[in-house]
Amino acid sequence: MYIQKMLRWLLFFWLAAVIFFAFAQPAPQQQIGETSRIFYFHVPCAWVCVLAFFMTAFFSVRYLLKKEITLDAKAVLSAQLGLIFCILATLSGSIWARFAWGAFWNWDPRQTSIFLQLLIYFAYFSLRGSIGETEKRATFSAAYAILAFLTVPFLIFVVPRVTASLHPSDTVVGKEAEFNLGPTVRWIFFASLAGFTFLYYQLYRLGARIKVAELGRKETP
Amino acid sequence: MNHNYVVMAVVLLVWAALFFYLLRLEKKVDRLLKNEKKEV
Repeated sequence: MYIQKMLRWLLFFWLAAVIFFAFAQPAPQQQIGETSRIFYFHVPCAWVCVLAFFMTAFFSVRYLLKKEITLDAKAVLSAQLGLIFCILATLSGSIWARFAWGAFWNWDPRQTSIFLQLLIYFAYFSLRGSIGETEKRATFSAAYAILAFLTVPFLIFVVPRVTASLHPSDTVVGKEAEFNLGPTVRWIFFASLAGFTFLYYQLYRLGARIKVAELGRKETP
Repeated sequence: MNHNYVVMAVVLLVWAALFFYLLRLEKKVDRLLKNEKKEV
């Protein structure tokens, strides 16, 4: 318990330091200018969204194998977190687009693909909302979550790269898979990536405790 | 005043508010789970 408390405060000061350096250091992309600082938050949000949807598929596979209702609860929790971070990635990207391209939304392939991603996972929750019986709901949504995750790599990584998109595509990794980030930018970026990943874990941990406690309350006579 | 620092301050405040909200939520969960153990 003491370690968890220490880790939590470490997370707090870690992300506070990332925020400080993200704004105190020179802008990461000189041609794009000051607005490129949003990259330190936009890309980690998109990364956590992919990670969370992967965990949803992971818990869904385990649910179909073991039929333990807590696994279904964890899958739903991870999907909720994934949706939140997907929305944050969409909003931060749209804010940047307003400055870089002159409009919040212009159906750029990158915007269209993340919009489709949002629809796919909103549909996951409406599917769950449409089935009353617990076991059936868990089974149907588990199958859906596994199939839905197949679209994630395609929509997040492939579509924006094979279509003519205004969205920067080699900010982090270049064509020959070399890092395009300067040393300072690289350090701040990966610290932010690690911080956001740990934030997801902390949110997931807290949410899982609440959901398991709720299930425990339902099962006791 | 460099408005980068204004934006930084706002983002830091949002992060602090979210963090302390999560701390309070975790304490509430701890209390609920402790009470539940006493009831059983």
